[in-house]
Amino acid sequence: MVLEATMICIDNSEWMRNGDYTPSRFQAQADAVNLICGAKTQSNPENTVGILTMAGKGVRVLTTPTTDLGKLLACMHGTGLEIGGELNIASAIQIAQLALKHRQNKNQRQRIIVFAGSPIKYDKKMLESIGKKLKKSSVSLDIVDFGEEDEGKPEKLEALLTAVNNNDSSHIVHIPPGPNALSDVLISTPVFTGDGEGGSGFVAAGPAAGGDYDFGVDPNIDPELALALRVSMEEERARQEAAAKRAAEEASSQNQGDEQSSKLQDTTMADTTGASAAVATDAAEPMSEVDALLQQAIALSMQTPASDSAVRDTDMSEANNEDQDLAAALQMSMQEGEKDSSGQMDMSEVLEDQAFVSSVLASLPGVDPNDPSVKDLLASLHGKSESSDQKKDEEKAAKDDEK
Amino acid sequence: MNQVDLVDFIDWSGVECLNQNSAHSIANALKQGYREDDGLNVESDADEQLLVYIPFLQVVKLHSLAVKGPEEEGPKTVKLYSNREHMGFSNVNDFPPSDTVEFSAENIQAGKPVVLKYVKFQNVRSVTIFIEDNQSGGDVTKVQKIAFFGTTVETTDMKGLKKIEDH
Repeated sequence: MVLEATMICIDNSEWMRNGDYTPSRFQAQADAVNLICGAKTQSNPENTVGILTMAGKGVRVLTTPTTDLGKLLACMHGTGLEIGGELNIASAIQIAQLALKHRQNKNQRQRIIVFAGSPIKYDKKMLESIGKKLKKSSVSLDIVDFGEEDEGKPEKLEALLTAVNNNDSSHIVHIPPGPNALSDVLISTPVFTGDGEGGSGFVAAGPAAGGDYDFGVDPNIDPELALALRVSMEEERARQEAAAKRAAEEASSQNQGDEQSSKLQDTTMADTTGASAAVATDAAEPMSEVDALLQQAIALSMQTPASDSAVRDTDMSEANNEDQDLAAALQMSMQEGEKDSSGQMDMSEVLEDQAFVSSVLASLPGVDPNDPSVKDLLASLHGKSESSDQKKDEEKAAKDDEK
Repeated sequence: MNQVDLVDFIDWSGVECLNQNSAHSIANALKQGYREDDGLNVESDADEQLLVYIPFLQVVKLHSLAVKGPEEEGPKTVKLYSNREHMGFSNVNDFPPSDTVEFSAENIQAGKPVVLKYVKFQNVRSVTIFIEDNQSGGDVTKVQKIAFFGTTVETTDMKGLKKIEDH
């Protein structure tokens, strides 16, 4: 969302009649320019874009930097665009720089995009000095090298780029002729994406649109639909997690008698809790994305404890279908999660009973209940009975101190 | 009238420096603490010229300027423009500077304040410093410290303020 004023310098020399880019070099360039104008104005509404032609009868500014996208698109289709003459890069860049200097909003950064489709008759030295002047005035430069494959042209343009480049704000793209349209290739380059997220957002019209978004819907075209899809996805995920947690709780109620061992496990699990939670979530996510609706139906229809374990089993079997490793990880994390949450459940009730706690601590190998630090810890634990996580950490710290 | 170091009145959000090397920025020469450290300088990038724009938080009068730099790469010719916004290297020569200072190798090393044409700097909202060349004529100009001394136009005398008495 960088606030920027851009001057696009297009090549309208004789070389642009060539058809090695469909339908013609000039048309391909025009499409690319339209896309860039759209992307820039969309990524920040205060961005301005101007266009000038580099060849023809001479360098001519078609529009000074403006926010009006309609005006820019009209320029590209206007009658004033004659093809002919030779590219005059040096004066074009200087005039572009002048146009940028007189931009209305001085807070905008300055950028020039040059489409170089024909041979460059200037030598490297000259281009480098132009680059230096741009760098001095902190103007960034993007170069699109396409069309005529002249000897030395890529090197000259690279030299220009290194002279201008300041902290990677300038880029160069070489596009050889081929079946792909010029604009499609450009979209994935920093010319678009280096200038913020606006580029990819605008590519709704492009062929790659479907694959880029989670739901196959461009948020820019239909924000409400995209939002609704995202919200329902979150709800499903939350429901699955709740279902998994409920299953763990049911299982824990059966483990009520085995609190001591669960405490021990809880301690050792404290370190791995973060990992197992992460694994569980990670395991849940690919699954949910793949079979979201199916699991949602299963979760809805199964509300009883027995069914919850069935849900888990279903989860795991589905994972087995997908990926053996994933299934193994899932099982491990489910078991750990079970014990962990059972430990969590028990702790709140159990810690209320201080006598019990002291006896438990006494039975643990490394802990001396008469140790003042342990006593302090117990006192503070009773004082704060809100979050079991906090208690877990403190307990872990006490145990670590003892060790 | 006591001349005061005007570093406290600089509007940092508007400070700009053209052609500075991004690793050695203008803050190294202007900010308190950084400018005292001779190891931290602002360096020029593409060539030896630097253009620094400093707006102030209120209107000030400039009395003198202290510039400190190394013997070889320190600035030589320094032109000051008062109240001109957004200058570029292309239009520095379009209007005459409010003042020009030529530093010799000794006084750039010492960094002693140089008195300016006070009458030209009576009503300064912003100052632009154009460093045209350096002592040795090399490609990189280094400046360790830039400090302005002067007074503010509207000053508040704290002793003069009386506490409002409660009824």
